Amino acid sequence: MFKLKVADAKLLKDMATAISILIDEATFKIDPENLKLRAMDPSRVAMVDFEWPKTVFEEYTCTEPTKMCINISELLKLLRRAGKDEVVELSLDEKTGRLQIRITGKYTRNFTMPTLESSEEEVPTPKITFNVRAKATTEGLRQAIEDAQLVSDHVRIEADAEKLVFNAAGDLMSAIIELQKGSDTLLDLEAKEPSKATFGLSYLSEIIKAASATSDIATLEFSTDMPIKLDFQQTKEGKLTFYLAPRIETE
Amino acid sequence: MGVNLRDLVPKTPARLKDLSGKSIAIDAYNALYQFLAIIRQPDGTPLKDSSGRVTSHLSGLLYRTCNLVEMGIKPIYVFDGVPPALKEVEIKRRMKVKREALVKYEQALKAGKVEEARMYAQATSRLKDYMAEDSKRLLKLMGIPWVQAPSEGEAQAAHLVKRGDADYCASQDYDSLLFGAPRLLRNVTISGRRKLPGKKIYIEVVPEIVELEHVLKECEITYEQIIDIGMLIGTDFNPEGIKGLGPKTALKLIREHGSLEKALPHIKNAEFPVELQRIREIFLHPKVKDNYKIEWREPDVEGVINFICRERDFSEDRVRKALEKMRRGAEELKGKTTLEKWFG
Repeated sequence: MFKLKVADAKLLKDMATAISILIDEATFKIDPENLKLRAMDPSRVAMVDFEWPKTVFEEYTCTEPTKMCINISELLKLLRRAGKDEVVELSLDEKTGRLQIRITGKYTRNFTMPTLESSEEEVPTPKITFNVRAKATTEGLRQAIEDAQLVSDHVRIEADAEKLVFNAAGDLMSAIIELQKGSDTLLDLEAKEPSKATFGLSYLSEIIKAASATSDIATLEFSTDMPIKLDFQQTKEGKLTFYLAPRIETE
Repeated sequence: MGVNLRDLVPKTPARLKDLSGKSIAIDAYNALYQFLAIIRQPDGTPLKDSSGRVTSHLSGLLYRTCNLVEMGIKPIYVFDGVPPALKEVEIKRRMKVKREALVKYEQALKAGKVEEARMYAQATSRLKDYMAEDSKRLLKLMGIPWVQAPSEGEAQAAHLVKRGDADYCASQDYDSLLFGAPRLLRNVTISGRRKLPGKKIYIEVVPEIVELEHVLKECEITYEQIIDIGMLIGTDFNPEGIKGLGPKTALKLIREHGSLEKALPHIKNAEFPVELQRIREIFLHPKVKDNYKIEWREPDVEGVINFICRERDFSEDRVRKALEKMRRGAEELKGKTTLEKWFG
């Protein structure tokens, strides 16, 4: 049994949006201390690791650890009906096994939706030694990705001690976007050794676009030809982290 | 026809792009029959080249394969070999259906009933030897591997998946499950918008995944028992099954009595061919081979053009575009990794 109350519907809506870019069926773990989800997209290229401690919620009751799987885009449809500052309450009707969504504000809406058979798969954390750690504004990252998308489907991210470079080359055009350490966009940069790795731009852009609604600052960690970790600092407590597998150029 | 397990089988819809990076053993005859049935002109005439040779199968094979590779899927086509002797009854029955359809097709054409003609025309589809040869030639030029099965293509395809050489079997029939395929994909070769036969209605066909383990768990049966259920309903080797007995009753009977032999005395007028054990053996120990080579190569673009554009009158422009899409998909896949590589 659980009951989760969020004071601002936007918070929940943005979180659900960020998760929905990778997965359709989301299995949440709800225990007395926090709400968690960790899942890979169906093609196993990207992963989302999400956690909200109970302090994020206005009210949080969970008597015993529960797993709940729902169709996240269906939930989003309902949440989109809620305006900013409206209150959302999620609870599970144990008799029917349905999720109840109660939105209160200007008026009261009670929705229900089915829960699905939850996935048994435990997704481990990728084991990577990161050589680069960069802290940037999500807005700056968004712009850099949009620039790169004009010319290619993928981008090589490179870093040395001084700068973070987005290098994109398409069939006809190419782009090099440089972020200097200490600039308004690149707040911090540590590179144990110069590193570079290539990633699909559609994944990167969707992740950064969706996550930037929840976060102003992101920490990027990567190494040569390894997955990248994108950690989006949450305005309240909580964690929203993505991992994305690289493309490895053979020639 | 294949065994009709549709009502018993839980399936998960999938998108082609989610199957990126997966290799799929496609029942080639099953796919070619679909192309021959579907790719026709409005009055039911198949596509033909200037000398009258049918080219529907080549059109389907080329464009569908390009489409799959573009999505990052790695197809392997598995061709039927010599059918088991027990399939004779089913083969004769199919021939008869086709002969009858041909008569009705010609009647409908004469009467000017185009819609009806097309419907019957689809049922007349015959896969001639030259079509299989054409298809293998095209696949070789496209750099797509194919495997010649010693007997049933579905059995060989299931064998590939069991040995880990392919991730999925692809067929419209459920027989692969009886052959022990751990994972079956349906609707792969026909996904997209499809017209319902005889109606002016279009439906969206999406690929679906069927997992043997999931089926067995859901039905609370063993692998041996699903073969018994198939035999009760009817397989290619005993097309009739037990008359009037459907999937749900078959499941109930096998669950109640444990096996086909124990269930038979409880079925009224149960007549079963003596070869009960022989049929079962086809599924349990099918004739398959281990010596095959699976390798995806760069397409020989000029070779494909020479064959299907010069010899079979395909539009060069369209074919080049399709091959280019395929090349890009293969290129994209080359550099792709998944996170699993770093789970250690």
